[in-house]
Amino acid sequence: MPFFKIFTIWHALPILILLLFFSPILIILFSLFSDYSENWEHIYNYVLTDYIVNSLILVLGVSILVIIIGSVTAWIVTNYDFTGRRFFEWGLILPLAIPPYILAYTFTGLFDSYGTLNELAGSIFNLQESGLFFPNIRNIYGAILVFSFTLYPYVYLICRTAFLNQSRSMFEVGRTLGLSQKLIFLKLALPIVRPALIAGTMIVAMETLSDFGAVDHFAVSTFTTGIFRTWYGMYDLTTAMQLASMLLIFITFCLVIERTSRRNASFSTISSNFKPMPIKKLSSQQSFLCFLVCFIPIFIGFVLPILEILNWSLRFNSGFFEKHFFRISFNTISLSVFSAILCTFIAMLINFSIRYQNSSIIKVTNPFLNIGYAVPGLILAVGIVQLFVFLDNNILNSFDGYFVTGSIFGLIFAYIIKSYALANSTYEAGYQKISQTVDDTARILKSKGFNLLFRVHFPLLKTSFFTSILLVTSEVVKELPATLVLRPFNFETLAVSTYIYASEERMIEAAAPATAIILIGLIPIFFLTKMIRASRLEDKR
Amino acid sequence: MKTILEISDLSHSYGDEIFTITDFSFSLKEGEITSIIGASGIGKTTLLRIIAGLEQPVEGEVRINEKLVSSKNFILPPEKRNLGLVVEDRALFPHLNVKKNVMFGINYIEEKESLAREYLELFKVLDLEEKFPHEISAGQQQRVAFARALITNPDILLLDEPFAALDKKLKSELHVETKKIFKEKGLSVILVTHDEEEAEYFSDRIIEFQENKIIVR
Repeated sequence: MPFFKIFTIWHALPILILLLFFSPILIILFSLFSDYSENWEHIYNYVLTDYIVNSLILVLGVSILVIIIGSVTAWIVTNYDFTGRRFFEWGLILPLAIPPYILAYTFTGLFDSYGTLNELAGSIFNLQESGLFFPNIRNIYGAILVFSFTLYPYVYLICRTAFLNQSRSMFEVGRTLGLSQKLIFLKLALPIVRPALIAGTMIVAMETLSDFGAVDHFAVSTFTTGIFRTWYGMYDLTTAMQLASMLLIFITFCLVIERTSRRNASFSTISSNFKPMPIKKLSSQQSFLCFLVCFIPIFIGFVLPILEILNWSLRFNSGFFEKHFFRISFNTISLSVFSAILCTFIAMLINFSIRYQNSSIIKVTNPFLNIGYAVPGLILAVGIVQLFVFLDNNILNSFDGYFVTGSIFGLIFAYIIKSYALANSTYEAGYQKISQTVDDTARILKSKGFNLLFRVHFPLLKTSFFTSILLVTSEVVKELPATLVLRPFNFETLAVSTYIYASEERMIEAAAPATAIILIGLIPIFFLTKMIRASRLEDKR
Repeated sequence: MKTILEISDLSHSYGDEIFTITDFSFSLKEGEITSIIGASGIGKTTLLRIIAGLEQPVEGEVRINEKLVSSKNFILPPEKRNLGLVVEDRALFPHLNVKKNVMFGINYIEEKESLAREYLELFKVLDLEEKFPHEISAGQQQRVAFARALITNPDILLLDEPFAALDKKLKSELHVETKKIFKEKGLSVILVTHDEEEAEYFSDRIIEFQENKIIVR
């Protein structure tokens, strides 16, 4: 059979997209083999240790806290009946709507020496000016708190699912073998969900290492702030890329652990004869304690920042909805919706290729396309800038000046790479619900290729299509570092505007864009809530 | 022979009205194997759970070795009753290998390793000691579950449909082996099953749960 008959467009498309997605990452990694400048020597001698140590302290501190908060709250809502349990089941994921950089801005607004809470505590306890009630938050410990209280839902979600899948008989046997109710959690439930716990923690570690806004605001030197300073302070893109490569290697290591743990997580239920855990009723004292344990993370990670933003908004008066706000909102929404539609189309085509061709090449390619979610926005931005400069200088040089460098294309490209995993998982879930017999019947009726895709699959997967667009849109709206670097001159989005106001300490003016980001960030929470409700096994208990 | 388990006037219900067990009295002698048979949902497993201390009865008392362990107002937790439990789905701990699963209940004993080997050999799974539960067959998993329950030297062994998930050949193989071990060790066993043949093969006595009545054979 001729090669072109076997190797169709459905084979070529995933490989082409894989090359596109990987090119900025490969450019970054190749920088490791280029010359090292004097700036690198300076960084190596004076600040690299700081970057490494601070990044490690951050990741370690955040990991410990998210494991405690995520696993304990997940265990409580899965196994005990207490006041507010139904709310907490989904309420505990609310902090996901708030990006770490916005929590960092509100925390400084609350806990700085002239912050809302310090002033309030000062007036209540009649403290002198120097006698601050809350300690300074602008340090690495403050950053650990910020990341922990915005990112713990990743661990909560994954642990909750794992706890729901644990069989009752396993714990009952544990009891007869000498474990008390408390020891069951520590010696059985937690070790059994260890792979899931590691996977969740690795996602948190990757998010922590990728962040730029929060660590920059708290003046903590990490890899991301170092990359930014090297590029924008020293104007040395090569050294910035070399730094980015080091971070990328570390993140790849986290990614490998996360993937391996996720595979092992399947061992949590080995029996087909599954009996879910019964929900235990609690006394009023125990119920109150559980309520408190679940409420505190939501209060710190969601309620407090919302209250502070409301406080800013009230002080902002009529200026809240001014012209500038509408302009940046329009920029953000149009850009993110356009990127989301494009990203969703790509995910649809790739998933259709997998289904239609059932080829091992495509199946092997697809997981690699998901890599973007793990790559920090800043690194992606550095790689894309370098790729576009190369394209402009060598391929598109017939145009005057730079054609793609500094254009909106860079932003869209970065958003698609970063959000592809989200769109892909939505489509994968959708396709799992369509029986193969639907395809077989359609093909017997002479529907194939694009005809099969648009006449059969597209109408059946409309929900996946729109869900994907909504999820990607909300993800793109929050993205700060890539937008900050890749945006065309004088082009602002909600995230960039919030960052600029906060870095100029104009917190009150940051209220409007921050509110908009949080509202849009609630979209995935809505979908996750629906999933959580669907996964509730009470009816079967 | 000494009475090891004494159940008197036991009643249990879910909710207010529906009684799954009503006024049930029963005693188990040391070394005796008793089977409880009956249709699904009639209360066999519930009785086992009450004996294990996993549920509290609405009325009546349960005594093990003459000591009160369950009543309307009192419940001794399962970990303090010295019982063994083997269930249909094996309930092996998936994060531990076979040997560690078997040693789980005797972690405080110094010679736990040698004891574990002894029981693994008894149930013919010694060569699997380093394997994880998902790496071995259903029959092998059930052998490990038996070894784990017996190693603690329980006063009473509670079996809840332990052979139900196995195929016919494997089931009869395990029947012969386990009965031999139970008798050799003089174990007191309560076996819950829906398989009458199995009950007859194993038991010194059969209790049949029927709607509104209990028949002792």
